[in-house]
Amino acid sequence: MRRAVHFAFPILFIVFFVLLAWYFLYMRNADTMYFLQDRGWWNSTALFWNDCMRFPGGFLSWAGAYLTQFFYYPAIGCVMLIALWLATFGVAKWSFKVPNEWSFLLFIPMAALLCSIIQLGYWVYILKDVDYVFYHSLGLFFAFILSLPFWQYLPVNEKVQKWIAFAWVPLVAALFYYPLGVYALLAATLVSVRRLFFTLLPYGQAQAEHSSLFTLLVLALTLWLVPLLETSGTTVMRPDQPWLYGFRKFELDDLRDYSLEIPFYIALVTPLFFPFIKKIKLKKSLLSLGVMVIVAGLMYFCLSSRDFADYNFHAEMRMQRGVEECRWNDVLREAGMVKGPVTREMVMFRDIALINTGKFCSSRYAYNNESVQPVTVSDSIHIRICDQAGDLIYYNFGETIFAIRRAIERCMHYGYSYYTMRVLTQCALINGELDNAHKYLRILSRSTFQKKWAEQMKRILDDERLLLTDEHFRMPLKLYNEGSELVGTDDKYVELTIMKKWMYNITNDPVAQEVALGCAMIMRDKNCFWAQVQQHYNINPETLFPIHVQEAMLFGVYELGMEGVNLSFVKFDQRVVDRFNAFRERMKQYASQGMNEKEIGRALRPEFGDTYMWDYCVLREVQTN
Amino acid sequence: MKKAVVCCLLFVVCFACSKHPSLPSSFTQSDSEPSIWPDYAGVTVPPNIAPLNFLVDSVDDVVAEIEGQTFGGKKNKVQIDENEWHEMLASAKGKSLSVTVYTKKDGKWQAYKPFKIHVAEEDIDPYVSYRVLPPTFVGFDELILKQRNLTNFDETTIYNNHQITEGVEGQCINCHSYQNYGTDNMMFHMRLQNAGTMIVSDGELIFVNLKNDSMISAAAYNNWHPFLPIIAFSTDHTMQSFHTRQITKVEVMESASDIIIYDVKKNRVQTVLNDSLEFELFPSWSPDGKWLYYCSAHHEYKKKYEDTDELLNEYKSLQYNLYRLSFDAETMTFGEPELIYDAASKNRSAVQPRVSGDGRYVLFAEGPWGLFHIWHTSADIQILDLETGEATLDGRRESQLVDSKAMNSPLPESYPSFSSNSRWILFESRRDDGNYTRTYFAYFDKQGRVHKPFEVPAKDPEFFRVFLRSWSRPELMKEPVHITPRQFYEKALTEPIKLSN
Repeated sequence: MRRAVHFAFPILFIVFFVLLAWYFLYMRNADTMYFLQDRGWWNSTALFWNDCMRFPGGFLSWAGAYLTQFFYYPAIGCVMLIALWLATFGVAKWSFKVPNEWSFLLFIPMAALLCSIIQLGYWVYILKDVDYVFYHSLGLFFAFILSLPFWQYLPVNEKVQKWIAFAWVPLVAALFYYPLGVYALLAATLVSVRRLFFTLLPYGQAQAEHSSLFTLLVLALTLWLVPLLETSGTTVMRPDQPWLYGFRKFELDDLRDYSLEIPFYIALVTPLFFPFIKKIKLKKSLLSLGVMVIVAGLMYFCLSSRDFADYNFHAEMRMQRGVEECRWNDVLREAGMVKGPVTREMVMFRDIALINTGKFCSSRYAYNNESVQPVTVSDSIHIRICDQAGDLIYYNFGETIFAIRRAIERCMHYGYSYYTMRVLTQCALINGELDNAHKYLRILSRSTFQKKWAEQMKRILDDERLLLTDEHFRMPLKLYNEGSELVGTDDKYVELTIMKKWMYNITNDPVAQEVALGCAMIMRDKNCFWAQVQQHYNINPETLFPIHVQEAMLFGVYELGMEGVNLSFVKFDQRVVDRFNAFRERMKQYASQGMNEKEIGRALRPEFGDTYMWDYCVLREVQTN
Repeated sequence: MKKAVVCCLLFVVCFACSKHPSLPSSFTQSDSEPSIWPDYAGVTVPPNIAPLNFLVDSVDDVVAEIEGQTFGGKKNKVQIDENEWHEMLASAKGKSLSVTVYTKKDGKWQAYKPFKIHVAEEDIDPYVSYRVLPPTFVGFDELILKQRNLTNFDETTIYNNHQITEGVEGQCINCHSYQNYGTDNMMFHMRLQNAGTMIVSDGELIFVNLKNDSMISAAAYNNWHPFLPIIAFSTDHTMQSFHTRQITKVEVMESASDIIIYDVKKNRVQTVLNDSLEFELFPSWSPDGKWLYYCSAHHEYKKKYEDTDELLNEYKSLQYNLYRLSFDAETMTFGEPELIYDAASKNRSAVQPRVSGDGRYVLFAEGPWGLFHIWHTSADIQILDLETGEATLDGRRESQLVDSKAMNSPLPESYPSFSSNSRWILFESRRDDGNYTRTYFAYFDKQGRVHKPFEVPAKDPEFFRVFLRSWSRPELMKEPVHITPRQFYEKALTEPIKLSN
């Protein structure tokens, strides 16, 4: 029975940790994990390998980037990451001879690394590290492997073993600093800690004390000299900071978010105490069980409080993927499910879906347009659409040049990604820059999971007629062809640039014209609106205007008092007219009751929240980002 | 048994170490030349150039036979041994190398018609320096100034802006140049963070703030006098706007620009040209130091000076002509502007002049308008022969253009320069894929003929295909830069000295 309890401890905690990791990684953050791999970057070229290996920790970067790809199927990626953590636990338990009762403590750095992944929030958009998810977990694993006292198993006498153990400290750091970065230094430190506290000090002899001092000195010299010497010739990083390389920084210009860095310090520091766990003399199972429960509770508490669970943040990712994969109904379903105010990026994604389903001017106001700025982890970042998916949004409005501009600018700041490569490829195909498209596809086909997409695009490259029918290109190509040539800039305002450009665009294409009309409505520019109404009538004289256009026309003439507008030629849907009249009546009624604007807006929402009029009257201070 | 194992091991080791694959014993003969990348078929190369490694698409294996010697590489690549290549070049000076390519696909070999690589008599300067950057527009998070040994594949960093900063609002480095192809006198600018101009003067590093109240801006595009400690600069207000449909993508414009010279020893600037109706740019000394070439566009603002909206509307009217000024080094005075090429009358815009060693030829980039021709698809490299042409009605001589079709492509070419012996033309081009700038060299023979250019060779022939950065603004050098990146970095941390006047 006692033996069973003895084994139950690690098994219980392993099961707990696996479930915990699965819950937070997969069940709560599958979309984030997919997103992280999509904004990741790995390819099998020698160039990518060399690029990684320029930096300390280069192998971790390369391998981390490779493994991150597997989050293309989030479940597979999660299984791989959890398996790595379990392997790390196994190595640590064996290496440090940790008793079963206290083995759960070994999971603390892994829990910290789990936290580092789920707490990111909007930093995922500006994270430069394509290896982020696996880098530290791999580093920890290799640090434990390299700190194994392998000399104890060599067929040499004890004296030689001691010398090997002693030499291994500078050796492991020097040999593995470039492949493993700071984790090579961690391995050296673990070896020294083990030697210091378990080989030398316990004997308390003068000779041992001297050796201890010497060990400390060697360790200090190793930690100081290895980064200094090995990075002395490099030009890829600041020469005054060789010791800081490999420490994850959440820094953007002058701002730095230290709270996001804490998990990495925990992951680096807690292993230094692992050699001491076996010294815990308390053998009472009940006590260790109690501590285990407390640790488990703390882990859950910390992870749930750091998990970035903002609904819009996750919805944006799902909608972006939906737009990329042309799953318009899924995007609209997602837009319809949102309870509270939405971000402007969500509005843009939804509008793209509406345009592609032909409902831009007939259903747009049925969705929530009440807007809110993205909720960031802290004030350290002010995320903007151009840094999120501005390029994809530009692309879907046919603005391929601006899309390329934004994609390249983002690559410059935050690195290349599969996502960017795909956007750039699609833009190149529409622009007719076929050699360029070929280049991007060639690189994408050297990754693990983008090959299929690259093959699909290569077919279009071989037969450009497919551009007209492929859903990825159908609407962007149309809008590209019907849009106008201008010279200017966007000042990082993606939404505003698109709206302003399109509301002035006069086109004879019915689909593109509806986009122009919708943009004029959104911008509430009366001159553009009536010019687009006229144009709509010119090319669709026999058909009814879309519902929201009818609402806007009635509202413009009868509520805003537009002079000189003749609506006699316009056919109205009687239901639209009735609703408009009811809306006006209700407004007057509420106003006569002494309600203020906000109160009237709230009161009108259940009945008229899906109309242009309500949007116009209530949502006045929309701020794009 | 032991012997057999040893023999097998030896065989494997020998096979693995062999630089020369054997030719296929049976193959089908094609009557066409192979399609190789980069396109080195029929090019003329200097006898000191690095191996022209290449690849063939969609095949499983390639063997190239060059002058009876065979070369292979990984899968579809041909990577030639450096020593053997140089031996072959040395013996083929003034002649040609014949290259026969054999490819293997689905287990079957095919031999192609041989193509020639012509080897010129004249060497090229052994180093080239360039900026490595993404094809970016505004941001410059990562910019590296590098140098490459053209006789092999050694590439080193001159300066990397990541030494100073990694932030989004980073440091821009630009406009590197050298005096007479040497590196004891050289310079480049740093902008924004730790701003100033790094100047190496007789091997000594100085950091200068090249801006005073009389200048439009800090000194920008530049060119060293061939032997005096003088650098000519243009100073300008640059603006950049984006197209929404044209694949040229960007228009770079100057709303005002002047030309100054800077005396490195005296730390003084002297205004050369500051006509408010002229946008003078890209000064360039003739190799004898007696002429200062430049380009200029005439523009009269209608409403207010430097009205950027007006420029945006009229960007196509900004067309630059080539001019030159005589220079008296004794008195440090300049003559009157002399128009040497009227591009605007041909509805073109000529920029970035460079003069050949004998002063006879002027290289320049010509596009439809503007000054940043690397964004203009129709931009080509042109060569003006100053010794030809007829007198025009206004009394000047209209020089003739040399036929330069051989080195141009339907995609942008820009930033040309001569090698120190004037037999090689260096320029940047986007012909590979339309977006990423690469460095090309063309032979310019003694008869004034331009030969088919070749792309700078890469150790891995796939390199430029998967490299997502541009090589921008290449400059030839006779020697590498001796100042270390660390020295530049440490200097950049100091306060730049101010101009004396």
